Amino acid sequence: MKLSDTGEARIRGYLFIFERSLRSFLNAAVATDAVREVESHIRERLDERDTASDERGAIERVLAELGTPLRVAQAYSLEMTLDEAVVTGRFVPTMRALWSGASTSVVGFAWAMLVFTGWSAGLSFLAMAVLKVIFPLNVGFVTVNGLPVAIGASFPAPPGAEVAGGYWVIPIAIVAGLGILAGTQRGSRRILGWMRENRVRAKASASTRLQ
Amino acid sequence: MKAAERTVSQAASENWQEQLRRGGVELAILLSLARDARYGLEIIRHLEEFTDLVVTEGTIYPIMARLSRDGFVNAEWRETGAHPRKYYRLTARGRTKLNDMRTAWKTFVGQIDRLTVAAGEE
Repeated sequence: MKLSDTGEARIRGYLFIFERSLRSFLNAAVATDAVREVESHIRERLDERDTASDERGAIERVLAELGTPLRVAQAYSLEMTLDEAVVTGRFVPTMRALWSGASTSVVGFAWAMLVFTGWSAGLSFLAMAVLKVIFPLNVGFVTVNGLPVAIGASFPAPPGAEVAGGYWVIPIAIVAGLGILAGTQRGSRRILGWMRENRVRAKASASTRLQ
Repeated sequence: MKAAERTVSQAASENWQEQLRRGGVELAILLSLARDARYGLEIIRHLEEFTDLVVTEGTIYPIMARLSRDGFVNAEWRETGAHPRKYYRLTARGRTKLNDMRTAWKTFVGQIDRLTVAAGEE
Protein backbone atom coordinates (compact mmCIF):
# COMPACT_ATOMS: atom_id res chain seq x y z
CA MET A 1 0.00 0.00 0.00
CA LYS A 2 1.32 3.39 -0.97
CA LEU A 3 0.91 6.11 1.61
CA SER A 4 1.16 9.83 1.00
CA ASP A 5 4.30 11.67 2.09
CA THR A 6 2.36 13.02 5.09
CA GLY A 7 1.27 9.51 6.09
CA GLU A 8 4.81 8.18 5.71
CA ALA A 9 6.13 11.08 7.77
CA ARG A 10 3.64 10.31 10.57
CA ILE A 11 4.74 6.67 10.73
CA ARG A 12 8.43 7.59 10.48
CA GLY A 13 7.93 10.06 13.33
CA TYR A 14 6.31 7.40 15.52
CA LEU A 15 9.08 4.92 14.78
CA PHE A 16 11.77 7.57 15.32
CA ILE A 17 10.52 8.35 18.83
CA PHE A 18 10.11 4.63 19.52
CA GLU A 19 13.67 3.86 18.43
CA ARG A 20 15.18 6.80 20.32
CA SER A 21 13.36 5.67 23.45
CA LEU A 22 14.55 2.08 23.03
CA ARG A 23 18.16 3.09 22.42
CA SER A 24 18.41 4.80 25.77
CA PHE A 25 18.14 1.33 27.31
CA LEU A 26 19.00 -1.24 24.65
CA ASN A 27 21.80 -1.90 22.23
CA ALA A 28 21.34 -0.76 18.64
CA ALA A 29 20.77 -4.22 17.14
CA VAL A 30 17.98 -5.15 19.54
CA ALA A 31 16.35 -1.74 19.16
CA THR A 32 16.49 -1.93 15.37
CA ASP A 33 14.91 -5.38 15.39
CA ALA A 34 12.09 -4.18 17.68
CA VAL A 35 11.46 -1.15 15.46
CA ARG A 36 11.36 -3.35 12.37
CA GLU A 37 8.79 -5.63 14.00
CA VAL A 38 6.56 -2.75 15.08
CA GLU A 39 6.82 -1.15 11.63
CA SER A 40 5.78 -4.44 10.04
CA HIS A 41 2.81 -4.52 12.43
CA ILE A 42 1.76 -0.96 11.57
CA ARG A 43 1.95 -1.49 7.81
CA GLU A 44 0.06 -4.77 7.99
CA ARG A 45 -2.69 -3.16 10.07
CA LEU A 46 -2.90 -0.33 7.52
CA ASP A 47 -3.23 -2.86 4.71
CA GLU A 48 -6.43 -4.09 6.38
CA ARG A 49 -7.95 -0.63 6.42
CA ASP A 50 -9.29 1.73 3.86
CA THR A 51 -6.58 4.34 3.69
CA ALA A 52 -7.73 5.69 0.34
CA SER A 53 -10.68 7.63 1.76
CA ASP A 54 -9.28 8.57 5.17
CA GLU A 55 -5.56 7.88 5.36
CA ARG A 56 -4.91 10.13 8.32
CA GLY A 57 -7.74 8.63 10.38
CA ALA A 58 -6.62 5.08 9.57
CA ILE A 59 -3.03 5.78 10.59
CA GLU A 60 -4.07 7.47 13.83
CA ARG A 61 -6.36 4.56 14.75
CA VAL A 62 -3.62 1.99 14.09
CA LEU A 63 -1.08 3.96 16.15
CA ALA A 64 -3.61 4.48 18.95
CA GLU A 65 -4.30 0.74 19.14
CA LEU A 66 -0.59 0.12 19.38
CA GLY A 67 -0.08 2.69 22.16
CA THR A 68 2.17 5.72 22.35
CA PRO A 69 5.78 5.05 21.26
CA LEU A 70 7.05 5.91 24.74
CA ARG A 71 4.69 3.44 26.36
CA VAL A 72 5.56 0.62 23.99
CA ALA A 73 9.26 1.38 24.40
CA GLN A 74 8.93 1.42 28.16
CA ALA A 75 7.34 -2.03 28.10
CA TYR A 76 10.26 -3.32 26.02
CA SER A 77 12.97 -1.52 27.90
CA LEU A 78 12.23 -2.34 31.49
CA GLU A 79 11.57 -5.97 30.69
CA MET A 80 14.72 -6.33 28.61
CA THR A 81 17.03 -4.55 31.00
CA LEU A 82 15.62 -6.58 33.89
CA ASP A 83 16.09 -9.78 31.89
CA GLU A 84 19.70 -9.01 31.08
CA ALA A 85 20.50 -8.15 34.69
CA VAL A 86 18.75 -11.19 36.16
CA VAL A 87 20.12 -13.66 33.62
CA THR A 88 23.73 -12.45 33.49
CA GLY A 89 24.08 -10.91 36.98
CA ARG A 90 26.70 -8.53 35.52
CA PHE A 91 27.36 -5.22 37.20
CA VAL A 92 26.54 -2.80 34.35
CA PRO A 93 23.20 -4.41 33.37
CA THR A 94 22.32 -4.55 37.07
CA MET A 95 23.07 -0.83 37.43
CA ARG A 96 21.06 -0.06 34.31
CA ALA A 97 18.08 -2.12 35.48
CA LEU A 98 18.14 -0.53 38.94
CA TRP A 99 18.33 2.94 37.39
CA SER A 100 15.45 2.10 35.09
CA GLY A 101 13.38 0.74 37.99
CA ALA A 102 14.24 3.72 40.19
CA SER A 103 13.10 6.15 37.52
CA THR A 104 9.75 4.44 36.97
CA SER A 105 8.41 3.52 40.43
CA VAL A 106 8.64 4.48 44.09
CA VAL A 107 9.34 0.89 45.10
CA GLY A 108 12.08 0.68 42.46
CA PHE A 109 13.58 3.90 43.81
CA ALA A 110 13.59 2.54 47.38
CA TRP A 111 15.28 -0.69 46.29
CA ALA A 112 17.85 1.25 44.26
CA MET A 113 18.68 3.42 47.30
CA LEU A 114 19.17 0.31 49.41
CA VAL A 115 21.49 -1.25 46.86
CA PHE A 116 23.37 2.04 46.45
CA THR A 117 23.90 2.11 50.21
CA GLY A 118 25.28 -1.44 50.10
CA TRP A 119 27.70 -0.64 47.30
CA SER A 120 28.82 2.54 49.05
CA ALA A 121 29.47 0.67 52.31
CA GLY A 122 31.41 -2.09 50.53
CA LEU A 123 33.57 0.36 48.59
CA SER A 124 34.16 2.40 51.76
CA PHE A 125 35.61 -0.64 53.55
CA LEU A 126 37.90 -1.35 50.59
CA ALA A 127 38.99 2.29 50.52
CA MET A 128 39.69 2.02 54.25
CA ALA A 129 42.02 -0.93 53.63
CA VAL A 130 43.97 1.07 51.03
CA LEU A 131 44.13 4.22 53.17
CA LYS A 132 45.36 2.26 56.19
CA VAL A 133 48.55 1.44 54.28
CA ILE A 134 49.14 5.12 53.40
CA PHE A 135 47.87 6.78 56.60
CA PRO A 136 48.27 4.18 59.36
CA LEU A 137 47.63 6.69 62.16
CA ASN A 138 44.40 8.06 60.70
CA VAL A 139 42.53 4.90 59.77
CA GLY A 140 40.93 2.43 62.17
CA PHE A 141 38.44 2.58 65.02
CA VAL A 142 37.84 6.14 66.18
CA THR A 143 37.36 6.24 69.95
CA VAL A 144 36.40 9.04 72.33
CA ASN A 145 37.18 8.47 75.99
CA GLY A 146 37.91 4.86 75.15
CA LEU A 147 34.52 4.29 73.53
CA PRO A 148 34.40 3.46 69.79
CA VAL A 149 32.28 6.04 67.93
CA ALA A 150 33.16 5.34 64.32
CA ILE A 151 35.15 3.20 61.97
CA GLY A 152 37.04 4.63 59.04
CA ALA A 153 39.50 7.38 58.24
CA SER A 154 39.74 10.70 60.03
CA PHE A 155 41.90 13.63 58.83
CA PRO A 156 42.81 14.88 61.38
CA ALA A 157 41.30 12.98 64.29
CA PRO A 158 38.57 15.02 66.05
CA PRO A 159 39.55 16.73 69.33
CA GLY A 160 39.61 14.24 72.14
CA ALA A 161 39.41 11.31 69.80
CA GLU A 162 41.95 8.60 69.15
CA VAL A 163 42.32 6.26 66.23
CA ALA A 164 42.88 2.70 67.38
CA GLY A 165 43.74 -0.36 65.36
CA GLY A 166 46.89 -1.74 63.80
CA TYR A 167 47.49 -3.20 60.38
CA TRP A 168 45.13 -6.04 61.25
CA VAL A 169 42.39 -3.58 60.24
CA ILE A 170 43.38 -4.12 56.59
CA PRO A 171 42.32 -7.78 56.17
CA ILE A 172 39.17 -7.15 58.20
CA ALA A 173 38.25 -4.16 56.00
CA ILE A 174 38.95 -6.15 52.82
CA VAL A 175 36.85 -9.12 53.94
CA ALA A 176 34.03 -6.83 55.13
CA GLY A 177 34.13 -4.76 51.92
CA LEU A 178 34.15 -7.74 49.58
CA GLY A 179 31.48 -9.47 51.68
CA ILE A 180 29.18 -6.46 51.57
CA LEU A 181 29.73 -5.99 47.83
CA ALA A 182 29.06 -9.67 47.12
CA GLY A 183 25.99 -9.62 49.36
CA THR A 184 24.73 -6.45 47.72
CA GLN A 185 25.24 -7.89 44.23
CA ARG A 186 23.41 -11.10 45.15
CA GLY A 187 20.70 -9.13 46.88
CA SER A 188 20.25 -6.76 43.95
CA ARG A 189 19.96 -9.71 41.57
CA ARG A 190 17.30 -11.20 43.80
CA ILE A 191 15.46 -7.87 43.99
CA LEU A 192 15.56 -7.53 40.21
CA GLY A 193 14.30 -11.11 39.86
CA TRP A 194 11.41 -10.25 42.12
CA MET A 195 10.74 -7.03 40.18
CA ARG A 196 10.81 -9.03 36.97
CA GLU A 197 8.28 -11.56 38.30
CA ASN A 198 5.99 -8.72 39.35
CA ARG A 199 6.47 -7.10 35.98
CA VAL A 200 5.53 -10.28 34.14
CA ARG A 201 2.42 -10.73 36.26
CA ALA A 202 1.41 -7.09 35.89
CA LYS A 203 2.01 -7.18 32.16
CA ALA A 204 -0.08 -10.33 31.78
CA SER A 205 -2.84 -8.50 33.60
CA ALA A 206 -2.47 -5.21 31.74
CA SER A 207 -2.18 -6.79 28.33
CA THR A 208 -5.53 -8.56 28.45
CA ARG A 209 -9.07 -7.45 28.60
CA LEU A 210 -12.41 -9.16 28.41
CA GLN A 211 -14.55 -8.32 25.44
CA MET B 1 -26.25 0.78 51.11
CA LYS B 2 -27.29 -2.04 48.81
CA ALA B 3 -25.86 -0.19 45.83
CA ALA B 4 -22.53 0.14 47.66
CA GLU B 5 -22.57 -3.57 48.51
CA ARG B 6 -23.28 -4.38 44.88
CA THR B 7 -20.35 -2.21 43.78
CA VAL B 8 -17.97 -3.94 46.20
CA SER B 9 -19.22 -7.34 45.07
CA GLN B 10 -18.82 -6.37 41.42
CA ALA B 11 -15.29 -5.09 42.05
CA ALA B 12 -14.36 -8.32 43.83
CA SER B 13 -15.73 -10.32 40.93
CA GLU B 14 -13.79 -8.26 38.38
CA ASN B 15 -10.64 -8.63 40.45
CA TRP B 16 -11.12 -12.39 40.49
CA GLN B 17 -11.54 -12.47 36.72
CA GLU B 18 -8.41 -10.34 36.42
CA GLN B 19 -6.44 -12.81 38.53
CA LEU B 20 -7.76 -15.67 36.41
CA ARG B 21 -6.69 -13.99 33.19
CA ARG B 22 -3.21 -13.29 34.54
CA GLY B 23 -2.41 -16.97 34.62
CA GLY B 24 -3.87 -17.62 31.20
CA VAL B 25 -2.11 -15.23 28.85
CA GLU B 26 1.22 -17.00 28.58
CA LEU B 27 -0.49 -20.37 28.15
CA ALA B 28 -2.76 -18.88 25.48
CA ILE B 29 0.20 -17.46 23.55
CA LEU B 30 2.16 -20.70 23.73
CA LEU B 31 -0.93 -22.65 22.65
CA SER B 32 -1.32 -20.39 19.62
CA LEU B 33 2.19 -21.46 18.58
CA ALA B 34 1.66 -25.17 19.26
CA ARG B 35 1.04 -26.17 15.65
CA ASP B 36 2.50 -23.45 13.48
CA ALA B 37 4.97 -20.63 13.59
CA ARG B 38 3.11 -17.31 13.74
CA TYR B 39 4.01 -13.64 13.70
CA GLY B 40 2.83 -11.15 16.34
CA LEU B 41 -0.28 -9.88 14.60
CA GLU B 42 -1.23 -13.43 13.65
CA ILE B 43 -1.04 -14.47 17.32
CA ILE B 44 -3.35 -11.59 18.25
CA ARG B 45 -5.82 -12.58 15.53
CA HIS B 46 -5.66 -16.24 16.60
CA LEU B 47 -6.45 -15.31 20.21
CA GLU B 48 -9.28 -13.06 19.02
CA GLU B 49 -10.70 -15.89 16.93
CA PHE B 50 -10.76 -18.55 19.64
CA THR B 51 -10.97 -16.67 22.93
CA ASP B 52 -12.22 -13.51 24.52
CA LEU B 53 -8.69 -12.89 25.76
CA VAL B 54 -7.35 -10.05 23.68
CA VAL B 55 -3.68 -9.21 24.02
CA THR B 56 -3.28 -5.50 23.42
CA GLU B 57 -1.07 -4.73 20.48
CA GLY B 58 1.62 -2.66 22.15
CA THR B 59 2.39 -5.35 24.70
CA ILE B 60 2.44 -8.52 22.61
CA TYR B 61 5.93 -7.80 21.25
CA PRO B 62 7.65 -7.28 24.62
CA ILE B 63 6.00 -10.51 25.82
CA MET B 64 7.25 -12.37 22.73
CA ALA B 65 10.72 -10.89 23.26
CA ARG B 66 10.73 -12.23 26.81
CA LEU B 67 9.57 -15.68 25.75
CA SER B 68 12.31 -15.62 23.12
CA ARG B 69 15.00 -14.65 25.64
CA ASP B 70 13.76 -17.34 28.03
CA GLY B 71 14.30 -19.87 25.23
CA PHE B 72 10.64 -20.88 24.90
CA VAL B 73 10.32 -19.59 21.32
CA ASN B 74 12.64 -19.00 18.38
CA ALA B 75 12.20 -15.96 16.18
CA GLU B 76 13.09 -15.58 12.51
CA TRP B 77 12.39 -12.93 9.88
CA ARG B 78 10.65 -14.04 6.71
CA GLU B 79 10.14 -12.00 3.59
CA THR B 80 6.54 -13.02 2.94
CA GLY B 81 3.74 -10.88 1.60
CA ALA B 82 4.09 -7.15 1.32
CA HIS B 83 6.13 -6.75 4.49
CA PRO B 84 8.80 -8.78 6.29
CA ARG B 85 7.36 -10.61 9.28
CA LYS B 86 8.98 -11.94 12.41
CA TYR B 87 7.75 -15.48 12.97
CA TYR B 88 7.86 -17.20 16.33
CA ARG B 89 8.12 -20.95 16.73
CA LEU B 90 8.07 -23.07 19.89
CA THR B 91 11.41 -24.55 20.90
CA ALA B 92 11.75 -27.96 22.56
CA ARG B 93 11.97 -26.14 25.88
CA GLY B 94 8.87 -24.14 25.03
CA ARG B 95 6.97 -27.30 24.11
CA THR B 96 7.92 -28.89 27.43
CA LYS B 97 6.74 -25.78 29.25
CA LEU B 98 3.53 -25.78 27.25
CA ASN B 99 2.86 -29.43 28.12
CA ASP B 100 3.52 -28.76 31.79
CA MET B 101 1.22 -25.73 31.75
CA ARG B 102 -1.49 -27.62 29.88
CA THR B 103 -1.38 -30.49 32.37
CA ALA B 104 -1.53 -28.11 35.31
CA TRP B 105 -4.42 -26.22 33.72
CA LYS B 106 -6.43 -29.40 33.06
CA THR B 107 -5.84 -30.62 36.60
CA PHE B 108 -6.98 -27.29 37.98
CA VAL B 109 -10.11 -27.15 35.81
CA GLY B 110 -10.93 -30.80 36.69
CA GLN B 111 -10.70 -30.05 40.38
CA ILE B 112 -12.97 -27.02 40.11
CA ASP B 113 -15.44 -29.07 38.02
CA ARG B 114 -15.56 -31.74 40.68
CA LEU B 115 -16.17 -29.13 43.34
CA THR B 116 -18.89 -27.57 41.20
CA VAL B 117 -20.62 -30.95 40.81
CA ALA B 118 -20.31 -31.60 44.54
CA ALA B 119 -21.88 -28.22 45.22
CA GLY B 120 -24.85 -29.23 43.10
CA GLU B 121 -24.51 -26.36 40.66
CA GLU B 122 -24.80 -28.50 37.52
